[in-house]
Amino acid sequence: MSTLWDANGSAIVKELAAQRRTGGAVMSGVALTLVVVADEDQVAEAEAAAAAAAEVHPCRLLVVVRRQVEAPAPRLDAEVLVGGRLGPGEAVVMRMYGRLGLHAESVVLPLLAADAPVVTWFHGAPPDHLDRDALGVIANRRVTDSLMAPDHVAALHRRAEDFAPGDTDLAWTRSTFWRSALASTLDAVVGRRGGPVRVLGGQLLGDPENPTAQLVAGWLSARCGCSITVEPGQRSTGTKGIETVVLTLDQDEEVRLTDDRKGGAVISQPYRPDATVALPKRSLGELIGEEMKRLDSDEPYREALEAATGVTGLAQRSPVREHHWFDPMRPTAPPAPTVPADSRDDDEVAQTGTGDDDGGDDEPGAAE
Amino acid sequence: MTNPLRDPRDRRLPRVPEPCALVVFGITGDLARKKLLPAVYDLANRGLLPTNFALLGFARRDWDDVDFAELSREAARQHARTPWREEVWERLSGSVRFIQGSFDDDAAFDELARTLGELEGSHGIGGNAAFYLSIPPSMFPVVLKQMQRTGMAESTAERWRRVVVEKPFGSDLPSSRELNGLVDSVFSADDVFRIDHYLGKETVQNLLALRFANTLFEPVWNGAHVDSVQITMAEDVGIGGRAEFYERTGAARDVLQNHLLQLLALTAMEEPVEFSAEEIRTEKLKVLRAVSVPTDMERFAVRGQYEQGWLAGQRAKGYRQEDGVAEDSRTETYAAVRLGVETRRWAGVPFYLRTGKRLPRRVTEIALSFRRAPHLPFAPTDTEELGHNQLVVRVQPDEGVTLKFGSKVPGSVMEVRDVAMDFLYGEQFTEASPEAYERLLLDVLLGDATLFPRNAEVEASWAVIDPLEEYWAATTPYPYRAGEWGPRAADEMLASEGRAWRRP
Repeated sequence: MSTLWDANGSAIVKELAAQRRTGGAVMSGVALTLVVVADEDQVAEAEAAAAAAAEVHPCRLLVVVRRQVEAPAPRLDAEVLVGGRLGPGEAVVMRMYGRLGLHAESVVLPLLAADAPVVTWFHGAPPDHLDRDALGVIANRRVTDSLMAPDHVAALHRRAEDFAPGDTDLAWTRSTFWRSALASTLDAVVGRRGGPVRVLGGQLLGDPENPTAQLVAGWLSARCGCSITVEPGQRSTGTKGIETVVLTLDQDEEVRLTDDRKGGAVISQPYRPDATVALPKRSLGELIGEEMKRLDSDEPYREALEAATGVTGLAQRSPVREHHWFDPMRPTAPPAPTVPADSRDDDEVAQTGTGDDDGGDDEPGAAE
Repeated sequence: MTNPLRDPRDRRLPRVPEPCALVVFGITGDLARKKLLPAVYDLANRGLLPTNFALLGFARRDWDDVDFAELSREAARQHARTPWREEVWERLSGSVRFIQGSFDDDAAFDELARTLGELEGSHGIGGNAAFYLSIPPSMFPVVLKQMQRTGMAESTAERWRRVVVEKPFGSDLPSSRELNGLVDSVFSADDVFRIDHYLGKETVQNLLALRFANTLFEPVWNGAHVDSVQITMAEDVGIGGRAEFYERTGAARDVLQNHLLQLLALTAMEEPVEFSAEEIRTEKLKVLRAVSVPTDMERFAVRGQYEQGWLAGQRAKGYRQEDGVAEDSRTETYAAVRLGVETRRWAGVPFYLRTGKRLPRRVTEIALSFRRAPHLPFAPTDTEELGHNQLVVRVQPDEGVTLKFGSKVPGSVMEVRDVAMDFLYGEQFTEASPEAYERLLLDVLLGDATLFPRNAEVEASWAVIDPLEEYWAATTPYPYRAGEWGPRAADEMLASEGRAWRRP
């Protein structure tokens, strides 16, 4: 491990190469690059999760921490590790100060594993527009977490409006065990009947503010072709969000899955004794691991999101995102300025003279 | 669409078997404790077992359900691959039953049938059950007859009944026919799963992906480009406590007949019409039927037996000094043979197969050695260090693929030397490497027979081994020191054709 203070991207590339040579053949190839975007106060948590996921799917791990965008001088500190604290592969933790944070891709791009997919995980409140962050635009897969937003349901809605194929949300990942239990319950009914099952309707009791509950309800609605909504339950459900799912089937039958609050769910179905299925709580690392398993776009998520939020036309969105320049220092820029800004009040860095060139896009008119 | 919640695009949801029971005969054995029980736990932990699942153990030992649950818990905990979660085991242990009895005890089997019937109602297993025969083959007839008597073996439209048998599948062609006939008389052929745990390894399945998903390898995967193929399965251990079994069996029947010939079949087979059990087995069978044994047995079928020596810094006993082995034993612990595959693709390419115990390290690999370039524009001294290009599929350990080719040595003169390019499977997709038994057990419960050889393959394999055994019956194996790569005669076998064994 080595730490580079006030470095630049080329210094990191050199250091990685040097460590690879001295460390022996630690890693002979990587299947993907995981870019983690985190705030300073959540970086430890994100690192632990990324390291756990890297154990499962070894990757090149790039952690980007942006600090103090208002700092007068841009600066890059980097920690380079090969086969250490951050899993078996190569890892770089970068702290970017000042306006460099707005151009993080300039450091990250040369560090991506050659011709391998990129997964960007935003650990923190998800951005409103993923295309305002170049780190999201360079990725094949973008992972957000609506549960970390102040308003979960609004965040989910944002995800739908901002959707592009390749987006996923950890609220969806958290639903896998529940969905699997629901699907295999219906499998059992199909197996018993020896014929198809139709779902006529249903109910999901839980926390309407929980994005996972919303997505499961959306998924059920999309798959079954009937409207299933989240009704407030009796008990608090924690991060899981789901208390009970009841599905009304044809032939006057009904199946019911209830969280038993002991890490499992009780399945009730006709002609069968109740059974419990384990729904173990998974760590953040395991969730990220699941996201890294498949890198193609996730259509079931798209349909669930569509049904949960009522936003339509997600299937027609282009998978290619284009970067839109956005300056958080001036988030309240007028939506449609009539007069382009001139050099007099262009950029505070321009005034301090650090030579930070934001490029031709750096004008308020391009903010949206 | 029978289940609206199932969506082929939804690949997060795992394939989960229907409600069922797993019945293990010989649950107190080593295999059950070290492999089966942990595999069951790992499956449960990964959410791959159906919600209605029961595990029944059958053995002679005088136990009740509590003892059995405790033993299973310990075994699973000790050998499980995935992290231990008490709540997962608790849920599983609620449906664990033990049935005590010997295999000729009618009452015990009636009890088993009754328990299965009970579980059908109380645990909702729907009558589906897989029987795992983790017992010596000599016990098969009596157990199978008991199952037939109690009607446990019948698959009907409402339920499936499957049986899992472990190798060895017989000891020669007639005995394997007899065994297959016996199993098939009780279970229908589609319900018989013969476990060859090598086929559950990720790399073996990856061999099919490597060959049939890429354009890079298939054009050179034939006799026009391949000079020879070496398939090696080496073990550093001796025979352990299995003297009685091993004295009767030997390396050829123990390993060559099943693992090595299956690896050969996967290496040499043509592209299956589709990636399904039936099509893959059809192609494998074609290869096994095309395998030819050498005419010059003396030179091309070599047996060895280890003598005392040093291995990995420790003194190792010779085979004849092992407990339970006759002092003049002629059982082989090493076998090497040159086979041919008589098809257009492989005619003239030798397939060298070898296996042995007490070899320097534990390794299994398939190595394709390519022909030399017909013309080299370099001076002869420049390429002295250049060998054959090789493609090596490492099955275990360090599952992966190595490509060996020539490269210039840095410096002012032209000198070409072999370098190796490594793809380490565990590195890029560690998670995707579940224990072989886990995968195979899941496949049995799902009814997916892709990775299980069918009886015609077993019989075709014996047809290859029988003439070798016949020749060997009158010979004495060559001695080799423990810790050596086999007897000198095996080296001479390749040297006589201008080749050499690869050191794995």
